[in-house]
Amino acid sequence: MSTLLQDIEAQISGIKTGVTKQNVGTVREIGDGVAKIEGLSDAMLNEMLDFGNGIIGLALNLEETEVGAIVLGDYTSISEGQEVRTTGKLLQVPVGKALLGRVVNALGQPLDGKGPITTETFYPVEKIAPGIIKRKSVSQPVQTGIMAVDAMIPIGRGQRELIIGDRSTGKTTIGVDTIISQARLNRAAEEAKNTEYRPLYCIYVAIGQKQSNVARVVAVLEEAGAMPYTIIVSASASDSATNQYLAPFSGCAMGEWFMDNAMDALIIYDDLSKHAVAYRQVSLVLKRPSGREAYPGDVFYLHSRLLERSARVGEKYGNGSLTGLPIIETQAGDVSAYIPTNVISITDGQIYLETDLFYQGIRPAISVGLSVSRVGSAAQIKAMKQVAGRVKLDLAQFRELAAFAQFGSDLDAKTQAQLERGKRIVEVFKQPQYNPMPVEVQAATLWTVQNGLMDDVPVDKIKDFQFKLSDYLSSRKTALMDKIRAEKALSDQLIADLKAAVTEFKQTYK
Amino acid sequence: MKITKQARRDARQLFRSCMANGVLDENRVRQAVQLVIQDKPRGYLGLLNQFHRLVKLEIARRTARIESATALSPEFQSQVQTELTQKYGTGLSFLFVQNPALLGGLRIQVGGDVYNGSVQGRLAALQENF
Repeated sequence: MSTLLQDIEAQISGIKTGVTKQNVGTVREIGDGVAKIEGLSDAMLNEMLDFGNGIIGLALNLEETEVGAIVLGDYTSISEGQEVRTTGKLLQVPVGKALLGRVVNALGQPLDGKGPITTETFYPVEKIAPGIIKRKSVSQPVQTGIMAVDAMIPIGRGQRELIIGDRSTGKTTIGVDTIISQARLNRAAEEAKNTEYRPLYCIYVAIGQKQSNVARVVAVLEEAGAMPYTIIVSASASDSATNQYLAPFSGCAMGEWFMDNAMDALIIYDDLSKHAVAYRQVSLVLKRPSGREAYPGDVFYLHSRLLERSARVGEKYGNGSLTGLPIIETQAGDVSAYIPTNVISITDGQIYLETDLFYQGIRPAISVGLSVSRVGSAAQIKAMKQVAGRVKLDLAQFRELAAFAQFGSDLDAKTQAQLERGKRIVEVFKQPQYNPMPVEVQAATLWTVQNGLMDDVPVDKIKDFQFKLSDYLSSRKTALMDKIRAEKALSDQLIADLKAAVTEFKQTYK
Repeated sequence: MKITKQARRDARQLFRSCMANGVLDENRVRQAVQLVIQDKPRGYLGLLNQFHRLVKLEIARRTARIESATALSPEFQSQVQTELTQKYGTGLSFLFVQNPALLGGLRIQVGGDVYNGSVQGRLAALQENF
């Protein structure tokens, strides 16, 4: 009882007994989640406004006689003439490891029914990206577990790599596969008590998606045991446009906490096309001037300020990284539309997924010619560089030759060999969804195909051969795989061992 | 009523021309309204509506509303007026209101600024704190 009294006394003594100064205004207009407020002469840009009854707003337009604010929450209970107060605070969300394994909304409030999130740290939703001095070049890899990506379009920690493609071409799957791969690597390092390995925590931001899609992603991640390393920020299609607009910034703030605390994080924005649409809606209701395709003039800045926050920072400034994987959905393969060109120019490369390839059965449907990674190759491990260095060129030559081969059947032996090799490489890069592959197995498989050890396997048997070879290497040649993983390069000795192992396997393969 | 951009611009210009030394001149406002009604320029109703709004906001900005639970003595009223004039400059109009719901103390509102030294305000702060 005495502690109760002490608590009450402490709270009473904490209250200022003097005069309090507040800045207030009155609601002039409310609708579509946007309020126009008269007064509020001291309001700051992006300041939280208190509408009373626990409803908060965000000041987005500071005009001559009024303030335009977006309402976060149920705006239907707000009425004209209602008093609004400034709070002096910028919008902030909870951050920290307590959020791992949770599904939250754009304000960091739990949606998964697993109880409240206990964290004492909050980060502002809008934050200036780290400057030049704080940054460090990208040099550590993100192992996505997707062979085509890790070999040809490698991603580094701190990089921003766009995933772009039409609807249902496997964009989300690449993101989810990457999360699953990180969870496996994190868990393996934890079990092996490997303190050198830096775990990569993942944040998946669902913007304007169907709730069923989000539920499916959560189920896949739970099944793969990836949720303990993942935060899901959901602003689904049924959420207001304001929440959809804020969700990626909230997710980014959560990722920045890891970056500032010597950890690595990966954030997937799924997708920024819907984010631009939500922002367009907010801007139009706020009566901001519209530009091309009715998007507001600052839609480029909207995405550039978000993606610039992905970085790798130096030892003095947190020694962490935030890798960004934004997703853009194109319409009928048109990459020259407004939002796709904006985001392509902001990011450090793109993974372009093609519908045609997808329906030809080449999955992931990555278009090698149009996909590029501008900084990731510096982060690729040496073993992968050794085996994958020529793959992109070989595949490009194969596509060119295959196009010519359609017109005539008389081909010289060298061209035929190139075509056969190309077909096998294409087969090797096919990978089922939610099935990421360890980097050492990828290196071994690519070495096998590059050195002609798969040339005598029929093309339709390549997948079977690859699957069984991977199984054989992972179960029977664990020492060799561990060595490749540890040394991260294929020495002459390792190559000899690998050759012996593959030859041994081929003798038993039927 | 739809107010055109031109009407908004004209109303703002008219409003600015009614200011003298940063303070709204009542005579000029009255004259301006009369002139507009006489001349009836294109979209004058929209212009007058917008002008009315700007004047209303300016009056609200330059009005000090002093609420107290009981009536204030003339000396105290003049003291409050002097202090507010010192803070906000000349041209303020003062409105003294009795509001028993405050229980005690004063609540002063000048434009968007609210100084709440009332018992009711403190109780509300206490409630929020709990």
